[in-house]
Amino acid sequence: MDSDGGMERLPRGRHGLSPEFVAQNQRQRLINGLTQGLYEVGYQKTTVSLIGQRAAVSKSDFYKHFESKDDCFVAAYDAAIERIRGQLIVACTEVEGQEWPQRVRAAIERLLDLFVAEPALASIALVEGLRAGRGVYDRYQLAIESFVDLLKRSEPPLIEGAEMPEATDEAIVGGLASMLGRRVLAGETEQMTDLFPEILEFVLAAYVGAEEARRIVSSG
Amino acid sequence: MSSTRPELPREFVAGHKRRRMMDAVAELTAEQGYEATKIADIVRRAAVARKTLYDNFDGKEDLFLSAIDSTTTEMRVVVEAACDYGGGDPEGSIVAGLEALLDFIAEHPAAARMCMVEAISATPGSARLYDAAVHEFVEILQKSAPEGADLPETIEESLVGGVAWILQLQIRKGEAENAPELLPELSQFVLSPYLGVGKVVNTGRRK
Repeated sequence: MDSDGGMERLPRGRHGLSPEFVAQNQRQRLINGLTQGLYEVGYQKTTVSLIGQRAAVSKSDFYKHFESKDDCFVAAYDAAIERIRGQLIVACTEVEGQEWPQRVRAAIERLLDLFVAEPALASIALVEGLRAGRGVYDRYQLAIESFVDLLKRSEPPLIEGAEMPEATDEAIVGGLASMLGRRVLAGETEQMTDLFPEILEFVLAAYVGAEEARRIVSSG
Repeated sequence: MSSTRPELPREFVAGHKRRRMMDAVAELTAEQGYEATKIADIVRRAAVARKTLYDNFDGKEDLFLSAIDSTTTEMRVVVEAACDYGGGDPEGSIVAGLEALLDFIAEHPAAARMCMVEAISATPGSARLYDAAVHEFVEILQKSAPEGADLPETIEESLVGGVAWILQLQIRKGEAENAPELLPELSQFVLSPYLGVGKVVNTGRRK
């Protein structure tokens, strides 16, 4: 989902590609077209024709894949969340075997890099999903919950005597999503990587304490 | 005793009608969402003439935005007052503010749902009001925070956003009236970055 709308248009005419492949490619291009349109001109102006144009897919082919713009929007939202989750899992796997704080560090770093590289992805995941209503709120909630699971996948080490109330993990992830969404709205997506140290400290502090978190962040 | 109805001052009646329309839009959007709520439903619920609505507001969205604005202002005033008078120390002040917020939500579930859930996705104008309210609560938190704590603003935004998220879940579950039970968890969440985990003790409900 890069700035030119992602996937290449397939060659015309005979190309020996399977119909399934062509269909999948078209669908993905439409999703990218909507995501990018949303970021550039907003939901209202991202019409089915505009999505089709950006994706180089005809309007009638659009309706072979999606019932409506809303339908395409929901698919694009799901695709965005899957992409983010996939990237975070890869980032954590790359530092497999290291301590929990190192995995959190890797995941947050990847998350911010991803948003900076793909601001349209940040926008649909953090802002449009919540604002659109259109039944996406439940998906936003599920996404937050799945990121909570990711954070807790390996038991975070708690400092002695500390108890982690149930709501804390959700509050951390929901709070970060809200704050990052506000950065997107303020047009500051590009500067998100600057927030890396303070975000890492915030997440770690809830588990290992403020002092230990500061030590881990500054130890690089 | 006179049998005629006592004359109420004209401004009182007018203000009362405005209030009734704002309460009606809060209840209706909480029940069925903004989109499905029609002017006809609102005037029926508020027991006012259609003309009264248009004398007071430009239309449905104007009424909706006025109602959100009025409730968030009230919420902010209540929380700010609690922070100012609560405890005398930053910890007590933040806990008192949170407690006031949770009590407000429990007492006004429909209005809370309108401001904290419906507002986000109903219209661009209501989303802006929501964003502005979050910003105002960040400022209240900063004012109440321990001196020299010096947390980055993004972290304070994450704390306010995190509290809002937990409360939105609670409201959407239809359990706004149990919001006060969240006080210990939310107090610990908000205070930890300032005071350190395990050092937050004073989170019990004040009597």
